[in-house]
Amino acid sequence: MIRDLLCMTAPVREGFDIPCHEIGPKSSQPAVALVAGLHGDEINGIFILSRLADFLNSVEAGKYPDLRLVKRVLIIPAVNVLGVNLRTRTWPFDKSDINRMFPGSTTGETTQRIAYAVLEATKRAKYRIDIHTASADFEEIPQVRLYGPTEAERETARQLGLQAIMERSLSPVFTTTMMYSWKVWPGQSFVLRVGQAGTVQLDHCQRVFRAMVSFMGRIGVLEGVQLAVEDEEPCCFDKESAFRVFAEKAGTFVSDSKVGRWVRAGQELGYIYDSFGGTVIEKVVAPVAGLLTGIRRHPLLFEGDLILRVNRKG
Amino acid sequence: MSETIAAKTETFFTIEMPYRERMETRRAVFTGGDGPRVAVVGGIHGDELEGLYVCHLLAAWLEKLFLTSPGSLLGTVELYPAVNTLGLDTLTRGLPVFDTDLNRAFPGSASGPLPDRLAAALMTALSGAALVVDIHASNIYLREIPQVRINQEFDDLLVPIARRMNLDLIWLHSAATVLETTVAHSLNSCGTPCLVAEMGVGMRITPEYCEQLMAGILAVWQDMGVLAPDVTIPKTSHTAMIADDSNVHYLNAQTSGMFIPAASHWTDVRRGELLGTIVSPFRGETLSEVRSPVDGVLFTLREYPLVYEGSLMARVMARKGGRS
Repeated sequence: MIRDLLCMTAPVREGFDIPCHEIGPKSSQPAVALVAGLHGDEINGIFILSRLADFLNSVEAGKYPDLRLVKRVLIIPAVNVLGVNLRTRTWPFDKSDINRMFPGSTTGETTQRIAYAVLEATKRAKYRIDIHTASADFEEIPQVRLYGPTEAERETARQLGLQAIMERSLSPVFTTTMMYSWKVWPGQSFVLRVGQAGTVQLDHCQRVFRAMVSFMGRIGVLEGVQLAVEDEEPCCFDKESAFRVFAEKAGTFVSDSKVGRWVRAGQELGYIYDSFGGTVIEKVVAPVAGLLTGIRRHPLLFEGDLILRVNRKG
Repeated sequence: MSETIAAKTETFFTIEMPYRERMETRRAVFTGGDGPRVAVVGGIHGDELEGLYVCHLLAAWLEKLFLTSPGSLLGTVELYPAVNTLGLDTLTRGLPVFDTDLNRAFPGSASGPLPDRLAAALMTALSGAALVVDIHASNIYLREIPQVRINQEFDDLLVPIARRMNLDLIWLHSAATVLETTVAHSLNSCGTPCLVAEMGVGMRITPEYCEQLMAGILAVWQDMGVLAPDVTIPKTSHTAMIADDSNVHYLNAQTSGMFIPAASHWTDVRRGELLGTIVSPFRGETLSEVRSPVDGVLFTLREYPLVYEGSLMARVMARKGGRS
């Protein structure tokens, strides 16, 4: 079923809405709430969730006789609808970041009203997942982000089936994010970061799609899922395990390294060229042995830009 | 340039850009005696120009002072008029390329990307000053009367200074609603007093507001002993009203359309008075009327006409205890 979370007017065009999928047995609250596209340019998450909605609708329609959806799932592929259409991260009218407008309000700014509607629809779900990407300049390994997690959230994060779990403290900087507002409610909250903004990275999307399906199998929302044995245990990384390389010099960064690969200390991962003169001015190497969890994708570097992150196994 | 101009313009932050150029951020330093060091900051947002003009007015006043009374600057004055150099150069509020609001990057870090480094460089430059005034100009949507915004966490120290600043409003914000990543919060948290002045509208200069704030800043500097007590400074005549969460009323648009104001900015309004209407360019009827919820002062008024449902159109402050 498709439902509009919020219908609003616009100054000169038709009104707009934020639609969501509600799939599975009727229930006052969803068991799982999945949200993406709080930022309009984070297309990986939008693609994953729209595909997941199609899959679960097919399950409901009986196209997968072995599978049965036994609990309700709420899916919002994109919150920032106009931002998706206009390819902007923020709300296009006033450039505000919807993920800095939580918990929102019914009487405040447009983006606060949007935030309020999304929070109301999702906050009572037992499992809540918000999918993001890095910026358009940087690629992140598909990962679970935990912010000041409970033990139960740590345990569940391992069942999400992604290669990396990154744990961070709940800094006051995040007070106005959806994840922070979710945490006030009973249930468990997760942020996924998948790849980079502005594109669909099929490998990452397929991996996360499969992870979501097997996760719903593990928590008993989707019955009949054949749970594959994971090839690799997820790696849990705290902040101290992260080694970042920042650009010592500005220039053009070129690399064919892929995120999610294990690298040796000192391994060459890319080169910075003089953008005018064309010479190699810096070899970029892995600072330690570990998992390459993020790498710069936009070639033009300012001095000081983050080039890559390697996480050392604990 | 004449040698009597005592300002030294220097680069306090520089960073290499991808193709040959360097970004440089500059300040002007007026060095007098051993008295207190004070600073004025503007242009943290690239679409806010009022602070740049205040810095110009202060520079002009100080240059004249050096000609007429060279010994009267007892302390040091530093002007940082254009912190977001690239944003100002390109009509961008945030930091171009980084798509970041610089005033959400403090205190920054000396080793990270540009926003972090610039924030850290500004923190280093300003830390230890006897007073910093960070000047903002609202945004392109809203016009504001000259005011100071103060986090209640620091009000004991800052309100007495703010009262001398020749502005019309002191708005006290509860700690819960304050952003911790601003330059003002970061400076106040580490013991450098910083006042946030907010006035006018984005992408414009309101000369009379700028002159008003300049006079207030000079008065405060004279109180602090940055300027000699016998120097004649412009007269100050404004007394600030006090606002806080209890007496500020927000008027958000009931529907989308074009907001056409019916009342003038910075006037007294009565409860129920028509402040404006929301209309459609397609039809003749009025979609929504905007009326004041209280007797008070219309201190914020929308400048950019198009509104979405929820857009802020006006703020009215109910007077409490009369003029303070």
